[in-house]
Amino acid sequence: MKSIVKFIVCLSLLFSIGAHSQSQQKIEMKIDEIGNAKISVSMTMNAQQWQLWNSNYGNNQSALKRDMERSMPAYFLDDFKLEKDDMNRSFNLSLNAYGVCEINKRGKWIVDTDQKDAQLTELTETKYMLVSSPPEYGGQLQQTFIIELPENAKKIKTEKNAYGKSVFEFDMDPPSSGFNLMRWAGILLIVVGGGWAGKTVIKT
Amino acid sequence: MKKLAIPLTISVIGIALTAFSFISSSRGSAEDVDIVIEKAEFIMPAAHHVYANPDALDGKYYLFKAKITNNSSKTLEDVTVKYRIPNYIDWTELTVSGEMFPGQTLAVPCYPKFDSDITEKTTESMEKVDIEITWDGIEDDDIIEEDFDFRITNRNEFVYTGVKKEEILTYSDIYDNNPLVACFVTTNDPIVKYYTQNIQEKILKGEAATVSRKPEDAVRFLKGIYEATRRSHMVYSGTKGVPKSLDDVQSMVQQVRLPREVITGNTGLCIELSCLYASILSGAGIDPIIYFSPGHAYPGFKMNGQYYAIEATGIGGEGLGSIASAEQAFMTGQKQLDTLFTMSRQGDPRFTFVDINYANANGITEMNLKDNDFMRKKVDDIVASWSGGQDIQPNTPRNPSIRIPEPGLRTGNALSFSIPTGWQTMMHPAPQIPIVTAQVVAPDQMTTVTIYDIPASNAQQGMATVNQYLSSLGMQVQYQINGNALAGQTYSVNGTFNWIGKAIRRQGGIRIVAVGAPDYMYNQNSGIINQVYNSIR
Repeated sequence: MKSIVKFIVCLSLLFSIGAHSQSQQKIEMKIDEIGNAKISVSMTMNAQQWQLWNSNYGNNQSALKRDMERSMPAYFLDDFKLEKDDMNRSFNLSLNAYGVCEINKRGKWIVDTDQKDAQLTELTETKYMLVSSPPEYGGQLQQTFIIELPENAKKIKTEKNAYGKSVFEFDMDPPSSGFNLMRWAGILLIVVGGGWAGKTVIKT
Repeated sequence: MKKLAIPLTISVIGIALTAFSFISSSRGSAEDVDIVIEKAEFIMPAAHHVYANPDALDGKYYLFKAKITNNSSKTLEDVTVKYRIPNYIDWTELTVSGEMFPGQTLAVPCYPKFDSDITEKTTESMEKVDIEITWDGIEDDDIIEEDFDFRITNRNEFVYTGVKKEEILTYSDIYDNNPLVACFVTTNDPIVKYYTQNIQEKILKGEAATVSRKPEDAVRFLKGIYEATRRSHMVYSGTKGVPKSLDDVQSMVQQVRLPREVITGNTGLCIELSCLYASILSGAGIDPIIYFSPGHAYPGFKMNGQYYAIEATGIGGEGLGSIASAEQAFMTGQKQLDTLFTMSRQGDPRFTFVDINYANANGITEMNLKDNDFMRKKVDDIVASWSGGQDIQPNTPRNPSIRIPEPGLRTGNALSFSIPTGWQTMMHPAPQIPIVTAQVVAPDQMTTVTIYDIPASNAQQGMATVNQYLSSLGMQVQYQINGNALAGQTYSVNGTFNWIGKAIRRQGGIRIVAVGAPDYMYNQNSGIINQVYNSIR
């Protein structure tokens, strides 16, 4: 099972290694009603970090996409969009990740955090916050994750899986199946045919 | 009645269409399910544990990953993805998704668990993967079946990169698989263990590096391994290493003899000797490191934050003209290590190393190997050849006395550099280290300049004296000297302190002025550090 936090931690790649001062990174992950995620990463840097980040990624966006894909090999990612604000030394990167959560054998949606006793803060019924500081950055990077489950998620629980790691578990109805041309054409024909037959019977 | 025929026919068609719409969408058909498969070009048997581990390097080494999308308008139930590799892995379930909503995507990576006898594979072969996707109520004709071919190399083959040729950008991409060298470090191979025990007993006549945690004890062990290979007349020899095209991947492919094969064959290439040393060091509880420089690899270890190396190929061979002593091999290794750190610090990606314990902790674990009586007998024969030769000297207790500089060496001209505004100066701040003339501390209390006056004739001797003093206080110094410029790190219980400095000849001695900051502050303060450094005169 892929895990959402491992996924998010990999996003710290966007942090420029070597720039040593406490930095904040905000990562929002919005999961839709079919288990895909829209991810948005934003960060503001100091002058030195900004220069380093630009030389690595900011001015070479294909390298950014390539390194993101290679650091998260188990995922399918697309729709990368990078918006830079040079004046304020900040960026916002958005991307899509497919199949981030899935339905288990018991019909429950599962989102694996990959953390033992994850300290999750409930912001709203479907929105959770997790603060982390990846050890590989020596406490210099603080990441705030906002995990937003679908609006129609019900009975949300944080459970422990077989390895003692925290997982989100929830119920969700299937999305409306959309317009079925054949079905509506059939109903229309029944109505027209029935109406016509009824009118004919009344006339006779 | 005739008048009713047309409207009734229309109604019947309507009923049929409506019913069919329910029937057709109730099952979902194979045509409504999209599949995208991304596959690995090859599998190295030596890394079979890595391929089986979804957590190894964040799941980088998968066999394939499948993106399955339900494009039908119906929820599919109990969607099951299975795969098999004929002759290797029987049908195995990858995932069962209780439900798959319309539009939903499953991302399914495959980390195959091969039997450990794959490490007995001595030839390369092309194999096939069969993938099957089913769900509840599916008709046999609709079961989705996919397959693809891939290559399983022989157990000795090391493919340096799996990055597709059009994606190669940097030197690191060409050697992207370097961490997998840890799979060839076979610490738990019974043959290597047996060989290690013999070195500890017959060559070293006892060792306690892991107990004492003293680098000199570990260096003695390192030299002991070298001496064992030298006494058994082990020779340097090449193996096949050729560039190969593996579909989308183009890579250098090296035949790497396993440590047990190096021991019993009594010959090895630089990377093979490095793996042998690392296996033995790891078995003895010392943190092994394999260093890489362009076209070369050499082994060593890490202890108390410092790195050590030996030139294992110093054994050369009579046919090659020279055989270095253990001491010479160690000195050569240390010199190469200086170069490696200097070049690495300058950003040259060709100079790098693999920390075997770190690689193991990240899921890159060694291959499984079985015991072998014939090889044990070969080890016995080799051990018998160790008689004679120079003994590895036991460590004599280090001279506890520290050379104290003669008084009166310090000059009246105190500091020899420009002190930035607001910095605090302390003269003779550490009475237990009389060679420290002064220390100047920045307002952040982190960035520090230290001035040493040492009764030495050159920078090398001066740094040796500094090292002696700091060692007595539980600190370790690692440094490089280039002319009068110095750079290094000081390790202590408080962490790592990075510094740069200059050695200046003074009347009757050497003055060393070093400026630096804790490693986590160094880059941030590099501007002021460089300003101070440039003002040293």
